[in-house]
Amino acid sequence: MTTARSNPIGLRLLNQASLILFAVVLMIFGALSSAFFQPANAVNILIQTSSTGILAVGMTFVLLTAGVDLSVGSIMFVAAAVGGKLILSGWSLTATLVVMLAIGGLYGALNAVFITRLAIMAFIVTLATRYLGRGFGLRITETRAMNLPESFYEFGAARILGLPLPVLIFAVVVVLAHLTLTRTPFGRQIYAVGADLEAARKAGINTRWVLFLVYVICGFCAAVAGIVALSQAPAVSPGFGNNREFMAIAAAVLGGTSLFGGRGAVFPGTVLGAVLIQTIDNGLNILNVNPYLYPLITSGVIFLAVLLDAIRNRTLERLNRRRIFVEAETDQPNVKNHCDSSR
Amino acid sequence: MNFVKRLFLSEYLVLGLCVVYFAAFTPFTPGFASWSNLQTILAYCLPILVVSVGLTLVLIVGGIDLSVTSVIALASVVGGKIMSADEGWLAGSPWAIPVGLFAMLLVSAVVGAVNGVAITIGRIPAFIATLTTMMFVSGLAIWLTLSRKIGGLPSGFVMLGQNLWIVAAISGGAILLAHVALTKTLYGKWLYAIGHNPRAAIVSGVPVGRVTFFTYVFSGLFAGIAAILFTAGLETGNPEMARDNLLDVVGAVVIGGTSLYGGKGHVIGTVFGVLFLALVDNSLNLIGLNFYTIAMVKGGVILLAAFTDALRNRFMAGA
Amino acid sequence: MIEFVNIEKSFFGVKVLKGVSFAVKPGQTVGIVGENGAGKSTLMNILGGNLQPDAGEMRLNGQPYAPKSPRAAEHARIAFIHQDLNLFGNLSIAENLFIGGFPRPSAWLPFIDRRKIRERTSELLRDLQLPYGPDTLVERLSAGERQLVEIAKALAIDAKLIIFDEPTTSLTARETERLFAIMAQLRERGIAMLYISHSLGDVLRLCDEIVVLRDGAVVGNAPASELPMERMIALMVGREITQLFPQRDTKPEEGIALDVRGVSQPSVARNITFQLHRGEVLGVAGLMGSGRSELARILFGLDPCAAGEIRLNGQLLNGLSPRERIQRGLAFLTEDRRMEGLCMEAAIADNAALVALPRFARGLFGFVSKKKSRGAVRNIREAVKLTASARDAQPVKTLSGGNQQKVVLAKWLLNEPKVFIIDEPTRGIDVGAKHEVYRLINELAARGTGVLMISSEVEELIGMCDRILVMRRGEIRDTVVASEFDRERILRAALHDKAPA
Repeated sequence: MTTARSNPIGLRLLNQASLILFAVVLMIFGALSSAFFQPANAVNILIQTSSTGILAVGMTFVLLTAGVDLSVGSIMFVAAAVGGKLILSGWSLTATLVVMLAIGGLYGALNAVFITRLAIMAFIVTLATRYLGRGFGLRITETRAMNLPESFYEFGAARILGLPLPVLIFAVVVVLAHLTLTRTPFGRQIYAVGADLEAARKAGINTRWVLFLVYVICGFCAAVAGIVALSQAPAVSPGFGNNREFMAIAAAVLGGTSLFGGRGAVFPGTVLGAVLIQTIDNGLNILNVNPYLYPLITSGVIFLAVLLDAIRNRTLERLNRRRIFVEAETDQPNVKNHCDSSR
Repeated sequence: MNFVKRLFLSEYLVLGLCVVYFAAFTPFTPGFASWSNLQTILAYCLPILVVSVGLTLVLIVGGIDLSVTSVIALASVVGGKIMSADEGWLAGSPWAIPVGLFAMLLVSAVVGAVNGVAITIGRIPAFIATLTTMMFVSGLAIWLTLSRKIGGLPSGFVMLGQNLWIVAAISGGAILLAHVALTKTLYGKWLYAIGHNPRAAIVSGVPVGRVTFFTYVFSGLFAGIAAILFTAGLETGNPEMARDNLLDVVGAVVIGGTSLYGGKGHVIGTVFGVLFLALVDNSLNLIGLNFYTIAMVKGGVILLAAFTDALRNRFMAGA
Repeated sequence: MIEFVNIEKSFFGVKVLKGVSFAVKPGQTVGIVGENGAGKSTLMNILGGNLQPDAGEMRLNGQPYAPKSPRAAEHARIAFIHQDLNLFGNLSIAENLFIGGFPRPSAWLPFIDRRKIRERTSELLRDLQLPYGPDTLVERLSAGERQLVEIAKALAIDAKLIIFDEPTTSLTARETERLFAIMAQLRERGIAMLYISHSLGDVLRLCDEIVVLRDGAVVGNAPASELPMERMIALMVGREITQLFPQRDTKPEEGIALDVRGVSQPSVARNITFQLHRGEVLGVAGLMGSGRSELARILFGLDPCAAGEIRLNGQLLNGLSPRERIQRGLAFLTEDRRMEGLCMEAAIADNAALVALPRFARGLFGFVSKKKSRGAVRNIREAVKLTASARDAQPVKTLSGGNQQKVVLAKWLLNEPKVFIIDEPTRGIDVGAKHEVYRLINELAARGTGVLMISSEVEELIGMCDRILVMRRGEIRDTVVASEFDRERILRAALHDKAPA
């Protein structure tokens, strides 16, 4: 049909843009440093990724419905602040963790009520609750840094089946999220709601309930991310979790999740995005690059990924342009489709 | 009843709220109504107001600009790097101030232009495009200074941000300019049309790409002007300047009645929105509340404003 | 199977269905034909549960049937395949089939029984000879294949009656053939079908019985063998042209306003050539999807043009943006008023002034003269006879469809166009407003503007135009001048695959 249709290689490459970027990054660092490809370093990267990764997994749920949650950093902070207070006043670790998780879920539910019941834009709601949460957390901690007891550190340093606990938690969250999104009715309905809210309603999906749960899940993940972050550095500083939402969004988008909803995945997508960001940090660290350059390089890579995605979308748009008749009546596009779908 | 309803639906609702708030808190807040406090409020308001006005333009066209506060930081650093007597490239030269000012505005406009190109030509969603420039630009500001603050700014420059009259003149001029552009010129009319319905705008012969591009440039420029005021006011080039103000700015614009869906909003509303948040902030400060309590109140105020706006829209649809 | 008894339905006081009665027997395929606005879609929406009738009833296998929602229709085993399909491109075929209610392997597990939906979907796909796995994403399918997925969806709920609304408009010839083969199979299985189409040849080929609707009433109901094409068209057309169309006294001038030569764009338009004279109203007839709206978009510069020349008063337009074409005197009333015509939330005055704004602007900074623009808007409001009760500052969305269309006309007229392309100018507006629109078109022509008028209502074109071009599949198939106007000839050229002899 059009030139791009008859030459889908470009489109296929664009489809895998973030994977290719990841490979390029790995090759560059691998070539520049022998320490980079050590197994220990891979585990290191995963440990460093886990907290942001979990946050990004929750964010993916929200982004899939074409929403956004700017409050996740504050959720992390509130959960951490309350948890810190409790454990310092003698609560057991288990009870503290349970309360922290509950706070995450409730916080998300609060966001969800405003978004689904009062029909206020998610951007505004979560912007406001971001303030509320930050203020509340600072109030609890009286703006002082709080050092947590040894038990938290031991928790973070624990290894199960040889895997560090943060990585294990990350893996569990990813597996659960992936199964939910790909295997459950709820997960598939999230995609339907994100693709076309009106059509989803027509198909009999309880769209409000889907949206509600998505924000609860995001809040819950934020609490988990807070716990994992604390287990690595057991102190609650006033800036804990601040601006982490942007990293989470960036990781999800880097992994191919669309801000317009309906497109994206936790695995490999978001995980890949989060690991890619952390890998760049890690590689630059090994190469002894000036740390001040990290954000410049990271944001440059993100920009590149986003630009490639925009180009991909435009190509798709051109391919899907309405046609009135078929040139030469060969039905050629169908033949192509057959090849494509056989993957 | 009718009056209440009309006020509720009016554009001056937020101004009304400001007045009510001010009147209600004056008796309980020592020094709230004093001349020196009003000066403090103004000095705090004006630079924020300039950024907010730039952002208002972007929201009207249906976009978002998350990079504005990082632009302030970068421009501040660039200004410091050029003008500082300690380490400036033009330390002591009579050209330091004009070149410094020009460079601050230039770098801000360039970031705005990059956003504009990414959004109009690259067709990247505004949220993501400006998010990445935010990360890059703030990283750049920190790298340039290795996160140190730059002092020793020339007194001629510092005066720009410390003499309230000069600050008022600069920001007032910028705000007035935006207001006139928005209400009286072709550019303004086009801006609203694009925000309402970009497809209809294209069909009607509106140069959508060009108008959108320049709106991001203006947003950058206004952030640059704010950077001049902030930097001069605080006498430092600071790579973390205004870092925590982004959501203040967005919140103030939204309180002022500008819609995130585009096509709706005005400069006067933003003025009131910024003023209202500043009044809340200042009064709660005066009665000795902690800044974190204030942050919570601000969050509540933003939520309430959004809720009111949703109600108003429902009313309007019913009317 | 299903029986309609005296179904009536009105929209805003206009009767769209005036007592429709007919019956479909089990396993029968019934074709429903009629011009646009005859009431076909309304009737099918009532059957599918999207609308409720004002009077009359439906009987399903003898029982009263009154669906309140599409889900209720689904439960009654009636499936509706809309022209614009209701599928999620980002989900797989299997998921689309079961999105409303996924089966689970047991009540304890939250997971979808993927094996079950895969098996069921594979079965259905095999039935339909769709060579895809159940996990294929719907967005990878062509329009015709998506149509088959909708059919699979109907089979998944074990539908006994399937409604097809214009299923072939976006299909290639081969896809259409495949669809028909499958419909034949469905019929063998005893599934009843209602088939709505403008392609009369297809209807004749597929259907056992044909129901002809005109102006909301059944004017013909007979076995297909007794309704040859000519008879069908005659029944569809029936009515005489009333005095809805105001007389125009002026004749087209000699000078050519718009000169289109050999315009082509792959899979959209093929070698389009015509001349529009000054003061002429030139009609473009054709079915939906014949490429008429796409041609308008190409002429206006919204869509690309691969070959050919477009000249306005001798000036070459190729390569110019819509904005530059507007500056040279082109105007375009789009078929979609909401999406492309108006800023619905914005004020009437702002909408009306939008195109001509640069005319009211002065100086380097483009200050818009309020006085000038207000005065111009006031004049143009009067000229288009916009309802006097509407304030200038009122949002356009509060107006009726007819008044909204007048605002669109006003905004283009303010710019004094030399050539005006109007696409479906009277869609969705009442008779009074229609008359006003026609009057304005005549006035424009009388002042020497060339008008290219696209419409699905042949009657409207015959009443208004000096000449009519008939399009089909991106080509001009016939050109008819006023003295030879003949509804049957136009319909035939628009409907037939082969060009008329």
